[in-house]
Amino acid sequence: MDEVKVMDEQKRAESLNRPIEYDTTQYIVTQLGEEQYGIDIKLISNIVRMQKITRVPKVSPYIRGVINLRGEVIPVISLRLKMGLSDDEITKKTRIIILTLEQHESIGVLVDEVKEVVTLDEEHVEKVSYDKDDKAKFLSGVGKYDEKLISLLEINAVLAESEP
Amino acid sequence: MDTSQYLEIFLDETKEHLQNLNTQILDLEQEPDNMDTINEIFRAAHSLKGMAGTMGYKRMQTLTHDMENVFSEVRNGTIKVQPEMIDTLFKCLDALEEYLANIQQTTDEGTNDNADLIKVLNDILNNEKGGTAAPAQVKEEPKAAEKSTENNEKEKWRQIKINDTERMLVEKAYQDSLKVYGITVYVDEACVLKAARAFLVFKALEKLGEIIVSQPTAQDIEDEKFDLTFSLVFISGNTKDEVVAAVKSVSEIAEVYCDEFVLPETEKKAESETKKVSESTETKEAAPAAKSSAPAPVAKPDAKKAVSKPVVNRTVRVDIEKLDGLMNLVSELIIAKNSLVSAATASQSNGEGAGVNEQIEYLESVTTNLHESVMKVRMVPIESVVAKFPRMIRDLSKKLDKKMELYMTGEDTELDRTVVDEIGDPLMHMLRNSADHGLEPNDVRVANGKPEVGSIFLDAYQDGNNVVIEVRDDGAGINTEAVKNKAIERGTITPEQAENMSEKEIIDLLFLPSFSTAKQVTDVSGRGVGLDVVKSKIEALSGEVEVKTKLGEGSTFTIRLPLTLAIIQALMVVIGNEKYAISLGSIQTIEDISPEDVKLVQAKEVIHIRGTVIPIIRLNKILDIESEKNDENGRMTVIIVKKGDKQAGLVVDELIGQQEIVIKSMGKFIKVPKIISGATILGNGEVALILDANALI
Repeated sequence: MDEVKVMDEQKRAESLNRPIEYDTTQYIVTQLGEEQYGIDIKLISNIVRMQKITRVPKVSPYIRGVINLRGEVIPVISLRLKMGLSDDEITKKTRIIILTLEQHESIGVLVDEVKEVVTLDEEHVEKVSYDKDDKAKFLSGVGKYDEKLISLLEINAVLAESEP
Repeated sequence: MDTSQYLEIFLDETKEHLQNLNTQILDLEQEPDNMDTINEIFRAAHSLKGMAGTMGYKRMQTLTHDMENVFSEVRNGTIKVQPEMIDTLFKCLDALEEYLANIQQTTDEGTNDNADLIKVLNDILNNEKGGTAAPAQVKEEPKAAEKSTENNEKEKWRQIKINDTERMLVEKAYQDSLKVYGITVYVDEACVLKAARAFLVFKALEKLGEIIVSQPTAQDIEDEKFDLTFSLVFISGNTKDEVVAAVKSVSEIAEVYCDEFVLPETEKKAESETKKVSESTETKEAAPAAKSSAPAPVAKPDAKKAVSKPVVNRTVRVDIEKLDGLMNLVSELIIAKNSLVSAATASQSNGEGAGVNEQIEYLESVTTNLHESVMKVRMVPIESVVAKFPRMIRDLSKKLDKKMELYMTGEDTELDRTVVDEIGDPLMHMLRNSADHGLEPNDVRVANGKPEVGSIFLDAYQDGNNVVIEVRDDGAGINTEAVKNKAIERGTITPEQAENMSEKEIIDLLFLPSFSTAKQVTDVSGRGVGLDVVKSKIEALSGEVEVKTKLGEGSTFTIRLPLTLAIIQALMVVIGNEKYAISLGSIQTIEDISPEDVKLVQAKEVIHIRGTVIPIIRLNKILDIESEKNDENGRMTVIIVKKGDKQAGLVVDELIGQQEIVIKSMGKFIKVPKIISGATILGNGEVALILDANALI
């Protein structure tokens, strides 16, 4: 999977006639409680401010509901509940990150705050071992950036499980 | 010739011709002596052959050619129509359909030669022809004689006037020892795309040489401003036969007259002469020429008129995707309009912009009309689907060795194109079901005092915002005991459960996956895939299936489908602080009742309204909403909804009003509960969910 990603980057770099940068990925860093999580920028199509979310009855609690994004109805999930943190507190900084998945389906992810974009190369990313920690299965690794640790989300794993 | 651009036309027309042949051959089976039908069949087969030939599908052409030969002999009266022959012809049609399916998928007709079919066709020809060849020949002769006298008048190219430049071209051609031909082409009178045919003729000729004059002009021909015939002056190095063959390779060309073009020596004289000729011939000739142009001199002209197709509507073929695009735009427009309405209402309550309202009402009526027109564009009659059923029932009747008759009404009922495309398979399945399981064997029917021939009915009609299709038979009905025993045997239900099941619940078992009650597995039905597939397909189209049955008298399967899929009229309601939409189609009345009227029956809340007991459903409980509004506040608003003959009352807090809403998909990610059928976007940009009243009952 990673190899394929790198290949794509390589191709893109070549086609733009730029020097090839190996093994770097850009992440958008988001704040969830005390922790910072990184989401691969290639998956993100949009970041929107908090808006009215319509609750959908009889679904898993981490599914907050649906929103209207330019005429399309898009589901929104709570990353906090999914990661086993306490319920969301909606503030002025709350954002919905719109991810575009395969088959062009869009899903919104609710986060406390969007911080910055960082570029990490592979040597600064450590793989996490699959232990019994619930969260670990949602992570593709942990990145070091400016003395901070950023948990890198494996979005497909986060979204794969729609059971509570 | 590059024919790929005509593939679409070819596929569509071939389908039409095949359907037509199916219907006509069915008729022929009933009335083997009907000359009109035979002529129609001959014509369709002839067109098919021509079209297949033009497109280069040789196998298809060969098969249709042999079919045409048989029809031609039938028409001449040398062969009598016999049941075996009808069977063979149907097999041929199936083979043709197979070719067509191959072509549609791969643009290639495949490699099946259907040699056996061709052999049978030839056997029919040879057997019958042997004794009667002589009279047939006698008939040929007068036909030829007739033709030669007609020829001069039909060769309209003789009336073409040429100007100086064209004259020079012709002279130059003579010098280059090229041939100059005059050609008059008669297009078949049943032809729909005259201009396209003419275009193909032009194309075919341009490969062989140069067209210097055409009458009417090329532009007029392109615009279809000509009446079945056009004439050309054509320079070519090829022989006359080659030229004629090239023109005839185009389908739906009835006749071609071709001869060497002789340059008029003295122009003026020739001109006046031709004028005279043309005037006299045109008045006399125009009508009869058109009539007798089709190669069917045996038929009575009057009879032919009766079968000729009705005037074709002016139509445009449009890609369904373009219509989808248009539909989406209309949806956007309605959302924008709704937001205008809510903005105006808000500003009005502030005492501003009173004049805006009038304009908005106007906009509202325009968008509603626009929506309706776009919907109508997408509507097609279900005829295209049901037309194949009589043939299917005929085949089933033979296969199952049961006598049965199919009666259809309401073939002109219209439905959204996407629905019509999907509905064919479920309907076919239900008809097969009726034929196989529903109708009893003939001897049993007679023993039970029923008419020997079983009847299956297919009725379609519009009912409000729905279209109803009923498949009914006068067979044995569903044996609920047998269903129950089967279900117990298969472990679907326990014997205890079976005790307490109502008849309806037992019938619903039929719709469970892998359930078949036929004692024998036949290849018609009874493989265990069936009604559950029918049901899921219909539900995917937001429709529903219902069964009514009476043991010994027959069963009725009722399919109810929404007219439109994308935009509906809905009632907006408030529950707690959430807004929901309920389709107006399922709402019967809205009642204002006091809490004391709610009674408990078997621990369920019910109300009495005008003599009927209706269970009530508290939506706030079903939807897990904390509703502040309590019964003590006084009256309750109850929306009475119906599904078939069942009713329920939905308790809501407040009504907002009726609104046109656009149904939006909620994506695959959320596994939406069944009671939510979709979402819609309100005027203020919020999302509201649509409640499916059918799932609530």
